[in-house]
Amino acid sequence: MRYVIIGGGVAGTTAAEYLRKLDTEAEITLVSEEHHSLYSRVLLPHLIKGKVPRERIFLKKDDWYYKQNIDVLIGVVVEKLDVKNKFVLLTGGRELEFDKLLIATGGEVRTIDDDLRGVSYFRTLDDADHISQLLNELPHGARGGIYGGGFIACEYLNLFRHFEMPTTIAFRGKHFWSRVLEVEAGTLINDHLVKEGVEVHVSADLVSLTGETQLEGFVTTAGEHPCSMLGVGIGVTPDFSYLSEAGVETGNGVKANEYLETNIENIFTAGDVAEFYDSIAGRHLNVKNWMNAMSQGRAVAQNMAGTKTPFELVSSYSINTLGLEMIFVGDVDKDAVDKVHVIGSADAGGVTQVYERDGKVVGGVMIGRNTDRKPITDGIKEKRSAEEVIKSVNN
Amino acid sequence: MPKIRVLVDEDLCIGAASCVTIAPETFQMNEDNKAWVLDHGAEEGGHKYERWMEVTEDEKENIVLAAQSCPTLAVFIYLEDGTQIFPDM
Repeated sequence: MRYVIIGGGVAGTTAAEYLRKLDTEAEITLVSEEHHSLYSRVLLPHLIKGKVPRERIFLKKDDWYYKQNIDVLIGVVVEKLDVKNKFVLLTGGRELEFDKLLIATGGEVRTIDDDLRGVSYFRTLDDADHISQLLNELPHGARGGIYGGGFIACEYLNLFRHFEMPTTIAFRGKHFWSRVLEVEAGTLINDHLVKEGVEVHVSADLVSLTGETQLEGFVTTAGEHPCSMLGVGIGVTPDFSYLSEAGVETGNGVKANEYLETNIENIFTAGDVAEFYDSIAGRHLNVKNWMNAMSQGRAVAQNMAGTKTPFELVSSYSINTLGLEMIFVGDVDKDAVDKVHVIGSADAGGVTQVYERDGKVVGGVMIGRNTDRKPITDGIKEKRSAEEVIKSVNN
Repeated sequence: MPKIRVLVDEDLCIGAASCVTIAPETFQMNEDNKAWVLDHGAEEGGHKYERWMEVTEDEKENIVLAAQSCPTLAVFIYLEDGTQIFPDM
């Protein structure tokens, strides 16, 4: 059996690890764009702040792949997929044949049109090294700018705070996560940032950067914002062109059923790139977090090795932003539910949102209300009514 | 049954809760959104980030799996003789 895995992140590497456990004889090839063995992206902020030494972020040592008899091709991407003759064409012209293929390529950061020295993105270890370098070069008290209103923006807020940089943030929506949060929760976050001394500009579309070679600021529809360094966090956008050409169905991600099988036989997907049928939510979801990627890596290995195992997980993500805890659980797309119940208030310092579809609770967001996490997570798993869950939360 | 010491570094813990998902008998989130350590669901002596416990081999394997799933490697597991079995040294 020849397994080819495209993507050396946590989904792909976990799948390789479990495939080896399930099949000691198989040929396993891992195709990785990055020049590093598996590391934790979640530890990158800790690395930049110096809270963990560099060697701690690596989850697999360089010789692990060799010891597991997993062939790794680094610094390569797939340029073409031939589903009929079952091979992928790699950069450099090599053709790699497979019996079963896993697509676990994650996503590429969405970039802005302009670039100057001082502009940064934050997804990979190389990005983290770039950020560290920029931070090192800045004089004490230099201003940091952030464009975006999501998780990466939160990471930059914490980083700039750690390095004692006054901060300006601008984003397109009226508040953070405008497709997820209602006004009350959004207001709570905006108020918190202002209280923490951050200059916040809402409904601000990026117009241009200022500076010749070195960044001096950025301009949005809300005004001009001087800064010495800019962190851009405006989402990820995977490249599906080679998959579409091959007939693999894609939407927000690579479409898959609950067994993480795509529409093409023997081709599977997992991790940030997958848009899989979530049997708990009852619809296709594209989930981009560590827990989901690692769990799918395990589940997809089972399915690739021939043991049909439906993937089931109520995944969650949480981040502390300048002291405010934010937790997201399950299906939290406002447009995909019947009703979003809002509990608490910005004035009270805590807002919980409970997402209801067909009478059942399917998701929850807690801003400054950590203890609501368990009743909501249990409620989603057990498909309880929103009414019942809200009662347990209010108590 | 092997005796192990399970420790959560509260400074590294970011509340991802993957340990709770995999081993809810051993980990539960607290009000600070960090993971307490439990001994088979029990909290003798109150809430703690560190605890000795006797476990079966299967239970030990599952606790190691929970530790492996932590994106910040905040869970540490030691054997009775002090050997650290996770994270790999």
